[in-house]
Amino acid sequence: MRASHKWLCELSGVDADADECAARLTGAGLEVERLEPRGVLGDQVVIAEVRGVRPHPSRERLSLVAVDDGREPREIVCGAPNVPSAGGKVILAGLGASLPGGLTVTPKTIGGVESRGMLCSEVELDVGTDDGGILVVPEGSKVGTMAADALGLRDTVLEIGLTPNRPDCLGHVGLARELALLFERPFERQALQRPTRFTEGEFVSDGAARFDTTTLYQKESPGEPTLSAIDGAEVPRSVGVTIEDGERCPRYGATVVLGLNVAPSPFWLRYRLHILGLRARSNLVDATNLVLLETGHPIHGFDLASLRGGQIVVRRARPGESLTTLDETQRALEPDDLVICDAEGPAAIAGIMGGANTEIRDDTRHVLVECAYFEPRGIRRTSRRLGLHTDASHRFERGMDPQAIPHVLARATSLLAELGNGHVVRFGLDVVAQKRSPTTISLRPERMSALIGTKVPEATSRRILEGIGCQIQTDETAPGKNAAHRSWSIEAPSWRPDLGREVDLIEEVCRIHGYDRIPTVIPRVRPRAATPPAIAFERTARETAAALGLHEVISYAFVSASELEAARAPTEAVTLENALSEERSVMRTSLLPGLAAATARAQRRQVESVALFELGRTFHPSRESPNDTRSSKALPDEQATFAFIVAGLRPTWIGNADDYDFYDAKGILERLVRIATGFQADFRLSDSLDTAAPWLHPKRRAEITVVRRTVGAVGELHPAVSEALGVNGRPVYAEVSLSELMLAQSQSDLPQARPLPRFPSVTRDLALVVRDAQTAGHVAEFLRAHSDGLVETVTVFDRYLGSPVPDGHQSLAFRLVYRDAEATLTDKKVDEVHQRLVHAAKSEFAATVR
Amino acid sequence: MGDPVGQLEQGLAQVAQTYEAAFASAGDEHALREENAKIVGPQGTLTALMKLMRDVPAERRREFGKRANRLKHDVTQRFEQALKQLFAAARQAELSGPALDVTLPGRGARAGRLHAISRVRYELLDVFRALGFDVADGPEIDLHENCFDKLGFPPDHPATDMQDTFYVHTDQPIERQAQRPLLRTHTSTIQVRTMEQTQPPLAIVAPGAVYRRDDDATHSPMFFQIEGLLVDEGVSFADLKGVLTLFIQRTFGEDVPVRFRPSYFPFVEPGGEVDMGCTFCRPWAGGERSGCSPCKSSGWIEILGCGMVHPVVFEHVGYDPERYTGFAFGLGIDRIAMIKYGVPNIKLLYENDIRFLSSF
Repeated sequence: MRASHKWLCELSGVDADADECAARLTGAGLEVERLEPRGVLGDQVVIAEVRGVRPHPSRERLSLVAVDDGREPREIVCGAPNVPSAGGKVILAGLGASLPGGLTVTPKTIGGVESRGMLCSEVELDVGTDDGGILVVPEGSKVGTMAADALGLRDTVLEIGLTPNRPDCLGHVGLARELALLFERPFERQALQRPTRFTEGEFVSDGAARFDTTTLYQKESPGEPTLSAIDGAEVPRSVGVTIEDGERCPRYGATVVLGLNVAPSPFWLRYRLHILGLRARSNLVDATNLVLLETGHPIHGFDLASLRGGQIVVRRARPGESLTTLDETQRALEPDDLVICDAEGPAAIAGIMGGANTEIRDDTRHVLVECAYFEPRGIRRTSRRLGLHTDASHRFERGMDPQAIPHVLARATSLLAELGNGHVVRFGLDVVAQKRSPTTISLRPERMSALIGTKVPEATSRRILEGIGCQIQTDETAPGKNAAHRSWSIEAPSWRPDLGREVDLIEEVCRIHGYDRIPTVIPRVRPRAATPPAIAFERTARETAAALGLHEVISYAFVSASELEAARAPTEAVTLENALSEERSVMRTSLLPGLAAATARAQRRQVESVALFELGRTFHPSRESPNDTRSSKALPDEQATFAFIVAGLRPTWIGNADDYDFYDAKGILERLVRIATGFQADFRLSDSLDTAAPWLHPKRRAEITVVRRTVGAVGELHPAVSEALGVNGRPVYAEVSLSELMLAQSQSDLPQARPLPRFPSVTRDLALVVRDAQTAGHVAEFLRAHSDGLVETVTVFDRYLGSPVPDGHQSLAFRLVYRDAEATLTDKKVDEVHQRLVHAAKSEFAATVR
Repeated sequence: MGDPVGQLEQGLAQVAQTYEAAFASAGDEHALREENAKIVGPQGTLTALMKLMRDVPAERRREFGKRANRLKHDVTQRFEQALKQLFAAARQAELSGPALDVTLPGRGARAGRLHAISRVRYELLDVFRALGFDVADGPEIDLHENCFDKLGFPPDHPATDMQDTFYVHTDQPIERQAQRPLLRTHTSTIQVRTMEQTQPPLAIVAPGAVYRRDDDATHSPMFFQIEGLLVDEGVSFADLKGVLTLFIQRTFGEDVPVRFRPSYFPFVEPGGEVDMGCTFCRPWAGGERSGCSPCKSSGWIEILGCGMVHPVVFEHVGYDPERYTGFAFGLGIDRIAMIKYGVPNIKLLYENDIRFLSSF
């Protein structure tokens, strides 16, 4: 909402400067986001009188205008077609003047003639939109005065970010009421500026009424024309209003102004509209806009001559109906849309936009002014459906003041008659289809103090409540009760649809009194210690992953279906109904697309070493019906998932660097699982990964288990997947289900402390040449299992391929630690067991000892 | 054999005269040990002399024994002293010698970094946990009723415009709007869910991703919030001010001014927004706010929304609004991360550029 500081001061009687007004409004919840000074033209931009005009000696379209600004008569080169003759007043920007568009006036020689200054148009001065000529000001303007003063241009526009609960502040009157209250001044609602020529409309409750347009105001001065003399055009002899849908239109008022003359509005009005962001058009249209900005209540003017049958019918649209609106767009209407019709069909979409068929045109003489209350939700539905958001719909969908209708109509009618030199018809119509009773709320002062945490003085509360328009009707204490049961019965003002219950009034008191006056207290928090373990677990996982060298990424949870396909992730996904784009239309079922995209991005930017992780949710559709309210499974399944990718160079110490491979990822997982859960991660081949993790290389992958529970998979990306996702090299990717990992942890007993060994261990190394398909883990396990319990640990410490190891074979070196829990082992005993193990291994694996 | 006494006399004198020089001339530990072994080692001269002892007449044996042992003791002591001196000299040489090239890289994997959003999330949660708040969680895809209706958003009301919503496609038509699944537009859904499952008193903070159909220079369609909620008997707006002031000052500095302004959110009343003094231009510490772009020269930065829980919310979740009151607040983690780390554009947070991720 843009508001004129000057106008607000006029309406509220407040005389504080714009900064102070803005600070108070912001402090009361009407956030002033920006202050925009207007009419800052400086003392070089002044009123000048034209002394004479002659053609430019060499330039055909230019003229030389002799002007006097009271200081220095001079000739100005000017190209405007509308230079007034001698005696006319114009705006001269002298040398050194800087204009709102950023232009600084300097001496200029045009066609051999020097021009010391320029005559300005509305656009150059930023006071309007007319750039077809220079601005000609009234003859009475005093030569030499600053244009800003002479034209009353100085103002500040307050850009207010209004919250949707405050429709009353969508007009200057409502803002002025707030301002008056904030400056503790009495606010008198502007006296009805009805012309003496207006008589208030009759009150009709059956939803339909007619009035006679021939009953013109009783003329005060003889000689004023009668209706028949005003115009020969066909003016309906009477106008009727019928409300067919009282739910959607509880109240509809209309007046008629006759014999109007369309002309440009006076400068002050055009300027006011201009700085408030509306384009000035003609006096009649400008008048309706000014009333909108002033009262906040939208009104609509129909060209009465175009309104067929002299009839207004408020009803829902019929199937197949359409209307071409003011913006020259044909709109198909639906039965939920409320329309204003004449005797034959739609003439306006109620509360949103008028029809082109009845719009005020340059030749309009007679206007029917509509001011109505439309039900907000209906306006909003139609406005959204049509994608048509207007100043009117914006206000109606927030809730207008139905009681303001007579006032607004009176104001509009008088302004129209004044600006268009027209005549107001004696009777207006004010049709009430549904009567609304005022909202009464009881407010307990004790409750208010308790909620705010301090006691606001009673006089202050009363002043505030009355200042916003409430009427405090009674102040009662229930019989036999103490002050805690005292309560005020308060009638809320009709322009505040947001006030419906006690707490709404408490907020008003709080808000105007000032949040800064409320004390600051640290409450006692009663601890429950109910934080789910998953929260801490996720944090440990994140922090550990980072400590292990991975950078965290956060990707959008929505991806494209084709990305999921490329990643070979489950394609049965949660789909958005109103996605922003195809690229972000389904919820991810895997973290791979996001990590792959980040990897590809890094590779495109020549980052040599990529190590990234993400911890986030994947989404999997539910099979339950969304309409089954008893089922908690109606929503998709959200899986907390941890994934990481390593690609490119492994950061090593100075020397030759290698690429990351499977074992880097495995090492990260081992440490991560150990730190996060306390348990060991095991890695094994599993054919089930063909379906469980098809994105992995079938020969370079492993299933991850923790305490025998499968928690995820790790491996090189399948080359086809890497290619499809646009990542280079051999990235290694792991994905782990955090919930499975947590289950593995929570379902296992904590490891218990064991006594330290009392007897020393003996170490023997053993190198075996076995087929290269033979897994080291299997051999190690075999050695341990066949040692009569004497081998405590077996570790692989070397693997060698190549000469002299024969092709298809590998040499695996194991370190065996022997220990007897009950006795000191002798060399003899160890040798004996070791020899037996070597022998067994040789025959089991067709191995040779190296 | 000749004269053992003579030999001993001569031998001992020889050793006594030469050992110090021998030790002194040894340039390193190895040489020194060799010299030592030549005297007291198994084949050493002194060891050999000791073996002569049994040939010495008994009446002089005691005397020679004493002399030999003293000499051995002297030799050993001198050896140890020499050894110490050698060590000291070596240490001194190293200490005064050339320095290590400490500019060579460290060994081992480089540390990764948590995303700025995660780091800020945990920092903020820690502040609230220290005050006794629990952390709560909820689904990112939730029902319309949890996101709007139960929070008191009127149907077809412009308040829902504040949060343009992504809806989730369902194969079957949805019978009631309330049951329509959507991507939560705020973490306030967790308020509803927590209150439906728990009786007061409760104090929670709930972090998580939220989604709004808004994608331009200053908006990301996905971003992160933390929701807070405290419900008990007798909770007042003064408590709300206390907790949030403490939170802001712990997070941004004890001297940062905090300002509460009225505002509107359907699920709180009285509702407000909280500004903190702009930490870029720091006007309260004498900084110049004009020309400061993060605060648009206002000296204030909007940091969170808050208010007293609206009684309609309590009614929807089955709490007695006469008995219980509470406050709720919501803040954008992204926004705080941007302020803390000087991130100029929210989009940087989601581009996952490794150069950005590793830069701070």
